[in-house]
Amino acid sequence: MTPSETVAELAHPRQDYSYAFLDEFAKRELRRRILKAIAIPGYQVPYASREMPIARGWGTGGLQVTLSLVGPGDVVKVIDQGDDESVNAANLRRFIARMAGVETTSDTLEATLIQSRHRIPEEQLREGQALILQVPIPEPLRWVQPSVAKTREMHADADYALMWLVLYEQLVRFGEFVTGASYPVIVHRRYLMTPSPIPRWDTPKLHQAAHLTILSAGREKRLYAVPPYTDVYPIEFDDVHFSVERQTEGVCQMTGVSHKYMNEIPQPDGSSRYVLSDTSFADKLLKQKRGERVTIGEIYFDDKGNFYHAGYLKS
Amino acid sequence: MADIMMNVQEARTQNTFTALMWAFSHPGHPRPLPKTNLAPFFAIGETLVDLETSYYSSHDGLGQQLARLGGRPRSPQEAMYQFYPELGDADLLDLEMAPVGTYTYPDHSATLVLGVEFDVGTRIRLSGPGIPETTELFVEGIPQSFWSLREKKVQYPLGWDVFLIGDGQVVGLPRTTIVEVL
Amino acid sequence: MAYVATRGGEKAIQRAEQLYRALNGAFDADFVRAIERHMPYLMDRVMGEGSLYAPEMAALALAQAGGDLYEAVLLLRAYRSTLPRLAYAEPVDDEALLAVRRVSAAFKDIPGGQILGPTLDYSHRILTTQVLDNGHEASRPEPEAAEKPAPTNYPSVSGWHRLTGLMTRMEEHEPPDPAELPDVTREPIVFPASREHRLQSISRADTGGILALGYAGMRGYGLTHPTVNEVKLAYADVRLRHPITGAVFSAGRIRVTHTEVVSTSADGLELGFAATMGWNEVKTIAAAMLDMEMSKPEPHPAHTEEFVLYHTEPVEASGFCIHFKLPHYVTFNSALDSIRRVRSRREGGNRLQQMIQTAVKEKAS
Repeated sequence: MTPSETVAELAHPRQDYSYAFLDEFAKRELRRRILKAIAIPGYQVPYASREMPIARGWGTGGLQVTLSLVGPGDVVKVIDQGDDESVNAANLRRFIARMAGVETTSDTLEATLIQSRHRIPEEQLREGQALILQVPIPEPLRWVQPSVAKTREMHADADYALMWLVLYEQLVRFGEFVTGASYPVIVHRRYLMTPSPIPRWDTPKLHQAAHLTILSAGREKRLYAVPPYTDVYPIEFDDVHFSVERQTEGVCQMTGVSHKYMNEIPQPDGSSRYVLSDTSFADKLLKQKRGERVTIGEIYFDDKGNFYHAGYLKS
Repeated sequence: MADIMMNVQEARTQNTFTALMWAFSHPGHPRPLPKTNLAPFFAIGETLVDLETSYYSSHDGLGQQLARLGGRPRSPQEAMYQFYPELGDADLLDLEMAPVGTYTYPDHSATLVLGVEFDVGTRIRLSGPGIPETTELFVEGIPQSFWSLREKKVQYPLGWDVFLIGDGQVVGLPRTTIVEVL
Repeated sequence: MAYVATRGGEKAIQRAEQLYRALNGAFDADFVRAIERHMPYLMDRVMGEGSLYAPEMAALALAQAGGDLYEAVLLLRAYRSTLPRLAYAEPVDDEALLAVRRVSAAFKDIPGGQILGPTLDYSHRILTTQVLDNGHEASRPEPEAAEKPAPTNYPSVSGWHRLTGLMTRMEEHEPPDPAELPDVTREPIVFPASREHRLQSISRADTGGILALGYAGMRGYGLTHPTVNEVKLAYADVRLRHPITGAVFSAGRIRVTHTEVVSTSADGLELGFAATMGWNEVKTIAAAMLDMEMSKPEPHPAHTEEFVLYHTEPVEASGFCIHFKLPHYVTFNSALDSIRRVRSRREGGNRLQQMIQTAVKEKAS
């Protein structure tokens, strides 16, 4: 408090919570960590991680980042598996709206903050947008090394040989890379990072992006970031390349589009139907079909499955 | 339920933090700092410093103000947040010792807040994360040898991260930014 | 009601919560008070793991959660998160604790004596069904006052060990500034952990988790052979310093458990220690034993500090466990893609093999 503030300035109607639920100490600590995370792309910054009124493992990490960024002028979108209406996304969005008094939206283009579990939207994000990804296990080396203390040393030494070995073993056993979601990447040519359990389809969207990505694991108490316009390359070999999931078979039952990430809906006769995973994108396409006015953004993958950064995907 | 409201301090720190965050996300691109009744250096201190961290100021007046935030005052060798409203040659000897982090904890490194003037002086070209190709900037008010000191001390992933403050604006220079003096 | 495919997710959540509360039935302030009065050990467990000594709130958390212990602990922790830190209490001297129960397995008799206090240790575990038949308990004999009252505090048994040289003496030092102490609720734990972080984590740890790992140690997976040096159930005064006069005063009392175990080795006695808010002997005995195991240079993999402290965190463990109910269909889809690719590669390979074999046969014939 400084002497030049008036009592009128300091007073506001009584509230049971600080703005955005977190008290100033919690927000300040998070903000300090976020700045360091942006300065050291892909490095997992330890943070205190306050307990939230939502169970651990259900997005408390992403929530803490969103709450330390949000201001009354923001517009917040929350998705889970690409769906704004998923019960968990709806619950988180409800909490954020209540605690920060912000407008919420399902429109990817309108949002200033997008908190997401396990997907990046199909429409390109732009400068000034922050994508906040919920992370269950922030350590890409976890499955080859369970000890947190040991993986810290491995990152210090950039000792990632074990991961290349895992890839090689997959090639020998299966003839290709079988790691699905959470495909490990190297950020700014230094840190190995897990992009969170987003499908391989979404991983390229982190590379030289216009937007800022912050990834946060509340339970494990680590957050990390990919600044805009930063190199993010999936680990691969010179002669065997990373590839995204095949989306060639799926045609969205609702919108008729293909070459976008689909949800597979099993049918009783053993066949499958497909529906767009990004529900707000699907909504926009349907609106367009009905002749209603709607703004659809540029997309990352065109109708033939070509990624917007030409040459990035080699297979 | 009544809409939740920010008090004046919450609004100030949220706006200041937002400027700092985008300053690091897009290095070299000036961001306006919120217009408040607080001097920019103190506003940044208020946003980042409290009893859970340490600070240093080369300016006594500012140091006294920062003391009220509850942070632990430390020497430039140890302080995590260092404020130099006017960076002089003598200060460079201090900066030489500012923490750059360790390989195990590169985040245990100083954040420097330096007072400068923009649009005049030395022309620098920046590249790296946050910058699509390159960007250029004019900076005056810090010794020329600062840039070579920075090159020496900032060896990614180690290094300190810098905010340049001038004319109510902030420019971010995280350790990832490559600076070429033209 | 459908799950993720439902639009209007918010309505689904509201209905689910309404159904939950309807099943539990309404409760009132009397019920909360009854919990507080008649379930002290359940309360102590919730407060200890919830890391907040607030009996009324703990009872409310239990009522609101319908008795679900992990939910109650989460409610209390989340509530704690919102509370401002006002002051730090003065350190508690264990010899100044107002102890109502103090036992030691190491000696038959100890300075101050062994006092059973309130315990079921030597009772017969028989359900008193008369309560259900008669509508009330059979008349209980009131405890009689002893001729000579038990002492209110006790000299420390480990203090005696140090005096006699069986245990290394602790160095004298100035009491630390509490604001400088590492605080596991304010900064993340890193390994190797500071002593403060380790003891704080244990104090808030899940009783079942600590018990399982401690039990494994007792059964033979551990490296130590512990004896209970001292278990104390006591009341600790929460002593604060007046901000203006500087006078120290008691703001009230909380129940605490203080447990020490010792391990004998030819070099002398090693000490394991655990303390928690509330009365919880099972947790502190197992935890004190784990304290010793964690300090060994090469503990069993399940007794390393990292393994014990990470996996006995009740809110994190239960939360992550139940998070597996959340939709994971995007990652599942990605995994299916990998399986199908491998399969089609193998089938392609098999077909190729068959073609080669057929061609070879044809050539041969």
